[in-house]
Amino acid sequence: MSGSLLKRIKAFKTFYLMFLPVALYFIVFTYYPFFLGLVMSFQENRLIGARPFVGLENYRFIVKDSNFIAAIGNSLIIGLWDMVLYFLCSLALALVLNEVRHRTLKQSIQTIAYIPYLFSWSVIGGVWALIFDLQGLVNKVIGLFGVEPIFFLATPDYARPLIIAMGVWRSMGYFALLFTVSIMSIDQQLFEAARIDGASRMEQIRRIILPGLIPTMKTIIVLLSIGVLTHFDEIYVMVNPANRRLISTLLLYVYETGILNFKTGTASAGAMLVMIGTLVVTISMRRVIGYDKDE
Amino acid sequence: MSSGMKSTFRTYDSLPLFLRMLNVLILFVLVILMGIPMVNVLAVSLSTVAKSDSPGLVLFPAPVTLEGYRFIWKNANLAQPFYNTLYVSVVGTALHVLMAALAGYILAQPNLPFKRVMTTFILLTMTVPYELTMIGIYAVNKSLRLINTYTGLIVNGMISGFSVFLLRNYFLAIPRSLAESARIDGAGELRIFSSVYLRLSTSGLMTIATLELIRRWNNITMTVTLVSDMKKWTLPVVLKFILFDQTSVSGSSYVFANAKMAAVVLTAIPLVVLYFFTQSFFSTGVMLGSVKE
Repeated sequence: MSGSLLKRIKAFKTFYLMFLPVALYFIVFTYYPFFLGLVMSFQENRLIGARPFVGLENYRFIVKDSNFIAAIGNSLIIGLWDMVLYFLCSLALALVLNEVRHRTLKQSIQTIAYIPYLFSWSVIGGVWALIFDLQGLVNKVIGLFGVEPIFFLATPDYARPLIIAMGVWRSMGYFALLFTVSIMSIDQQLFEAARIDGASRMEQIRRIILPGLIPTMKTIIVLLSIGVLTHFDEIYVMVNPANRRLISTLLLYVYETGILNFKTGTASAGAMLVMIGTLVVTISMRRVIGYDKDE
Repeated sequence: MSSGMKSTFRTYDSLPLFLRMLNVLILFVLVILMGIPMVNVLAVSLSTVAKSDSPGLVLFPAPVTLEGYRFIWKNANLAQPFYNTLYVSVVGTALHVLMAALAGYILAQPNLPFKRVMTTFILLTMTVPYELTMIGIYAVNKSLRLINTYTGLIVNGMISGFSVFLLRNYFLAIPRSLAESARIDGAGELRIFSSVYLRLSTSGLMTIATLELIRRWNNITMTVTLVSDMKKWTLPVVLKFILFDQTSVSGSSYVFANAKMAAVVLTAIPLVVLYFFTQSFFSTGVMLGSVKE
């Protein structure tokens, strides 16, 4: 038996050789950084040289750090709102778009809605900075109703809603595309049968399309729940002294503490807690929607 | 005949008039909400300083001028970040596709001993978002002297589980008999890989190349983690500072709205062009990417 296994391994030796660079990459740039981060979270804040172990000191420090506590709240509020709105808005968009019979029109709207997803967060930030400027489009529009111009980007009350809405504006088209692809793969015969039974379009949507989308809904919820606590780019771009207190997220904390201020131990401890948090969020979402039960 | 059939069913095919009108209204508002801001940005970028900094809605620049583009290109020295972004994205994407194809091909081999171990090894890397290991990534790159280098930006993300499994699925769909007959003709493994598998998976390779190119072009997290040297920053990072912290990139000169928006357009336009050339690969990527593993 083992002789034949050895023979088989020999027969495939080219493949193992080819796998070597792949394995090496993942070990050096994915696995090792993960374990290094874990170890550093128990060590003194130091990037070079020996790092003495300090036990749970970093964790003890971080759970008392008011900036970290604030970041937890911000991350949860922004992350959960984004998750719910990405899901609902894109589902609604896909359903509404699906009722458009004109193919070219449908595709054009789809493209317009998808395009912001192509852009980096700083481009999105630029677009929003322009339209929410003191002299921008939004102030122009609310001016028509007699509202005094508002400096949206520097007014704390608008900090979170703007960040959340920015995310929806950028990602709605992409997730709607996921739903649209899934709607198109629904068996057409179901609709024929429903028509023969005299079901109205509304009933077809309720009884065929929505149930048909459930697997996609679950996949998207799981995808989104992994991202709840990992918002970074849009915060990095939009953060300013006026809104920092309200939108600074956990990953921004990790970045600023670890990369900008070299407090590697503290930052690693933060990252580990975010990892645990993400695990909790993901597992509970999977439970709630019964992701692992069927199929 | 068939059109007659259709008309009998038409009453069931669409929503009641009221809902149809609501539908149109929603889509109309959506197109306004998505489209107008983009048109606004483009128009302001093509406006004069005076026009772009005066209050009001600018949807049609009059007169059209490139002074914003000229100003920002010169004052923020955009040629450098443009080159950085292009270089890092193109080289990084080429390597990414090559490595992912290699790994996907290996995992597509039937009867390969320890294949399950190798598959799990790659699957596990997809469980933790890389942003959460950024301190570790920074430390590793620091000891490899990859901080503030193009190599660092290229090497990190050189391969990803998503791309590997997407290509593996492509390769699995190719009939084994093709590889067998090539083997009988005396082709080596690398030859079979390149002239049978790669050639027949062009759309898969294009899908990954497109997605990776966009991901790299837009990447902020990895760039600000690995690069603190402004000369090596990519466009999105430079753009953030042009927009919100301009003194650090353009010296003492004030950046007017038309120049800011010109920078936005310059960062975004390459991707729009890419999108229209590679549109068909997007839904493929979307479909395959959302398949439950």
